[in-house]
Amino acid sequence: ADEGGPRGRRVLVLVDDLAVRSSHSAFFASLQGRGFDLDFRLADDPKLSLHRYGQYLYDGLVLFAPSTPRFGGSVDQNSILEFIDAGHDMILAADSSASDLIRGIATECGVDFDEDPEAMVIDHINYAATDAEGDHTLIAGDDLIQSDVILGSKKIEAPVLFRGIGHAVNPSNSLVLKVLSASPSAYSANPKSKLASPPSLTGSAISLVSVMQARNNARVLISGSLDLFSNRFLKSGVQKAGSKIRHEKAGNEQFVTETSKWVFHERGHLKAVNVKHNKVGETNEPGMYRINDDLEYSVEIYEWSGTSWKPYVADDVQVQFYMMSPYVLKTLSTDKKGVFSTSFKVPDVYGVFQFKVEYQRLGYTGLSLSKQIPVRPYRHNEYERFITSAYPYYAASFSTMGAFFIFSFVYLYHK
Amino acid sequence: VRPVSDAHRSAAAELFAASPDGSFGDLETTYEAVRTFQILGVEKDKGLIGKACKFAAEKLASSSSSPAKDLFHAARISGVLKCSVDSGVYDDVATRLKAVIKDTNSLLELYYSVGGLLSIKEQGHNVVLPDADNTFHAIKALSQSDGRWRYDTNSAESSTFAAGIALEALSAVISLADSEVDSSMIAVVKNDIVKLFDTIKSYDDGTFYFDEKHVDAAEYKGPITTSASVVRGVTSFAAVASGKLNIPGEKILGLAKFFLGIGLPGSAKDCFNQIESLSFLENNRVFVPLVLSLPSKVFSLTSKDQLKVEVTTVFGSAAPPLRVNLVQVLGSDSKVITTETKELQFDLDNNVHYLDIAPLKIDVGKYSLVFEISLQEQEHETIYATGGTNTEAIFVTGLIKVDKAEIGISDNDAGTVESVQKIDLQKDTSVSLSANHLQKLRLSFQLSTPLGKTFKPHQVFLKLKHDESKVEHLFVVPGSARQFKIVLDFLGLVEKFYYLSGRYDLELAVGDAAMENSFLRALGHIELDLPEAPEKAPKPPAQAVDPFSKFGPKKEISHIFRSPEKRPPKELSFAFTGLTLLPIVGFLIGLMRLGVNLKNFPSLPAPAAFASLFHAGIGAVLLLYVLFWIKLDLFTTLKYLSFLGVFLVFVGHRALSYLSSTSAKQKTA
Repeated sequence: ADEGGPRGRRVLVLVDDLAVRSSHSAFFASLQGRGFDLDFRLADDPKLSLHRYGQYLYDGLVLFAPSTPRFGGSVDQNSILEFIDAGHDMILAADSSASDLIRGIATECGVDFDEDPEAMVIDHINYAATDAEGDHTLIAGDDLIQSDVILGSKKIEAPVLFRGIGHAVNPSNSLVLKVLSASPSAYSANPKSKLASPPSLTGSAISLVSVMQARNNARVLISGSLDLFSNRFLKSGVQKAGSKIRHEKAGNEQFVTETSKWVFHERGHLKAVNVKHNKVGETNEPGMYRINDDLEYSVEIYEWSGTSWKPYVADDVQVQFYMMSPYVLKTLSTDKKGVFSTSFKVPDVYGVFQFKVEYQRLGYTGLSLSKQIPVRPYRHNEYERFITSAYPYYAASFSTMGAFFIFSFVYLYHK
Repeated sequence: VRPVSDAHRSAAAELFAASPDGSFGDLETTYEAVRTFQILGVEKDKGLIGKACKFAAEKLASSSSSPAKDLFHAARISGVLKCSVDSGVYDDVATRLKAVIKDTNSLLELYYSVGGLLSIKEQGHNVVLPDADNTFHAIKALSQSDGRWRYDTNSAESSTFAAGIALEALSAVISLADSEVDSSMIAVVKNDIVKLFDTIKSYDDGTFYFDEKHVDAAEYKGPITTSASVVRGVTSFAAVASGKLNIPGEKILGLAKFFLGIGLPGSAKDCFNQIESLSFLENNRVFVPLVLSLPSKVFSLTSKDQLKVEVTTVFGSAAPPLRVNLVQVLGSDSKVITTETKELQFDLDNNVHYLDIAPLKIDVGKYSLVFEISLQEQEHETIYATGGTNTEAIFVTGLIKVDKAEIGISDNDAGTVESVQKIDLQKDTSVSLSANHLQKLRLSFQLSTPLGKTFKPHQVFLKLKHDESKVEHLFVVPGSARQFKIVLDFLGLVEKFYYLSGRYDLELAVGDAAMENSFLRALGHIELDLPEAPEKAPKPPAQAVDPFSKFGPKKEISHIFRSPEKRPPKELSFAFTGLTLLPIVGFLIGLMRLGVNLKNFPSLPAPAAFASLFHAGIGAVLLLYVLFWIKLDLFTTLKYLSFLGVFLVFVGHRALSYLSSTSAKQKTA
């Protein structure tokens, strides 16, 4: 991780044909232009290895080898998955020649490609009108996820060209997101043969490009189309069938640049520092709070912008004061310079509490902070001492004492 | 494949973008940039040209210290840009390059120096290579039996890329030679070239390319660079060697297809290689490839498109007079539709051959067209490579007629059809139907092609979507002849529908590659009344939820504090305090009334002192209680109390024993 960034810059590019290096060079050039150090290897290179002496040699992986039946060297499906489990990022692109190995890796990442090896995504309504192709497998996709963190703040105006296979994501898997979905009229089938039974994937349930962010913040992008990244699609114009607007350039270049920025943690990576709490009016962090104390809590959150840590601005960071269940859950206010803070009163329940920030937002790395702090009840002498409603009792006992004092004289010395 | 077009020009301009200071990078890149721009005719402003010339001139001026490679590139930059270079400078450069030729046995060094000399000669400077035969032999000595070359005498590996370099160097030697080079040697090299072409690789669509035999990722140059090197070498050699090279025209055409097939290149290097190779192929002495291309492969019957075919050179210039015949039309499953030969008309102005589709009587669908090109003049056969027949896949599209659409519910015991509604599939409709599990849903419609034939689209789906759970069910609507009809018997579908009653939205999707009016129509909805689910019925699958709903902020929670106990109003407390003080007031009044006196107080000094101390002690204890209330805690209070207690016991004993002794004396007295 140079310059304090969250990820290193060494990326292994596995291809099944070195021609991909030149046919997809614009995408690679954009990565290199952003400072990534790409190592191109054939997927079946017998000297291939992801780690040496227990250290990973790469920080990221671009797997542009859809047809490779097995990797060379010491790499196999498990070592790729271990690589991700170790918190590394991957871009995987398949196409209609996708091998079982590539499908297997995708499945492990929560993405199921259509099992029919001949199937492609077909859309007879939302296809890209070109002079050269007529089978409507060149999809002009514009159903993009509404997320600035994944796709960048600049809207992708032109449709994204896609030719390849569709996949489904399991609805119960909350780690996988559909970034580019097919239109309702799309379906996944073999374009060359008649359909006898309904295709297994249809409509907007088809995902064309998905991303996965694992719990360890490893990010994976899975595309059913390798051509999506190709120079041809990056440079070509696009006109959606039935639409009058011709875009000089397809949305692919912006799409692949922005999504790769996200995958390689150039955006949407948060870090939290300087977690602080103290009693209102003090600055030191106490070892313990008393019930009903007023306290202040603050944390600084920064987002990696690719070159530096920038203050993170959001209005939905929340802190919990937690013991078995949250007693207080409060939204933090920000000063737009990275500091998020709030103040609240300690509940009148004593025990061992935690300050918890569980920040999970779409596309951002998760923040999970917790800090333990005990809360004690009042000490015996911290209660209220002069209660007005007890005055009759005080008056009664002191008047009795006074009377006793006088009575002792009268009793002893009266004659 | 399409010939080089304006798209290449803009791509080249983008790839060879000059850096802000006006340079293109190192000498090699600069040469590639200016050469590509020269071939494509891209104009660059004077400033950039001046910069590049100056850059080259600087290198040339310091000829004695520069390596041959730099001089080679610098000389070629000056050549392309027509920079003015002193003949004295070129004399120095030539001397230096000749010295390199003498000393080296490396192929690349020889290539750079011979190439540099040739470039200087082409710029009008008089350069002669005195010992051309020796140089020729030196290069030839590195050749291998399979037509590949080695980089130098020490290397064992032979390379196809090196073969191209060597051939280019050999052709330069021939051009520079003061006398004719031994023609037997030239014949040997020609034979090498033929052998080299035996190693060419191909795709099954007639594309040919060169690639290294041994793919080593470090040294590997890729098929584009390798093929470009061979094309450069072979065409240059063919240009200077007498006689024709014995290379089949289809391989040259295949190489042209390979370079055109790249489309728009992605990197500057690829762009240079592609454009320069094509420019060599455009005008070479072996065969000039002529490519047949279709500006469009999709033809619409609705707009009565003409079948247009272009036959051009790789850069899109007009071909010599030739005839294009459509000899065969094949259907999608390779079924022969027609074998009638039809000659395409030639439109001289636009340089296209065209044919009306209508007389072919072909319907919508996917077809393969087989074209045959024949050159009109016999002598062109040895100059141009046309490849004979060319097969091109096309799509013919048209508007499909949709009519007689009906939707309705029928009872299970057939026959009695209720509530059949005619619907218009040209637009969204919103029929509303209701059915129970004993009834059936019927949907039927007809499709026919513009020529009135039957048409079976690839996609004919009826979709039912349960409104509440979003569970979707998809059915393929089967068709026979023109009629498409589906009958959904809900009795057999209850389990598939997970016993979910309620509103289902109906959607019909009909689409095909050849159908211009593919549609996805909302038909309306059907209210289904299905039986209750038995206990073991399968549960409907989970449906995708909006990802944002999983991530939004949570609702704030604030702690509800225990409310303080209720207290009486202050006034009441004060009133009762007053009341509790009343008895002591009464007590004091009572004492007054009794006429209390203290006559019994001891009069002797010592007993009086003890009695005073005893009462002071009691007072102190009582005061301690007051202090205990105001601020002291129990422990300090008890500490003080213990001292006071001891003191009280002592003085109390003294005081009381004195009192009792006096009272006893009085009784006895």
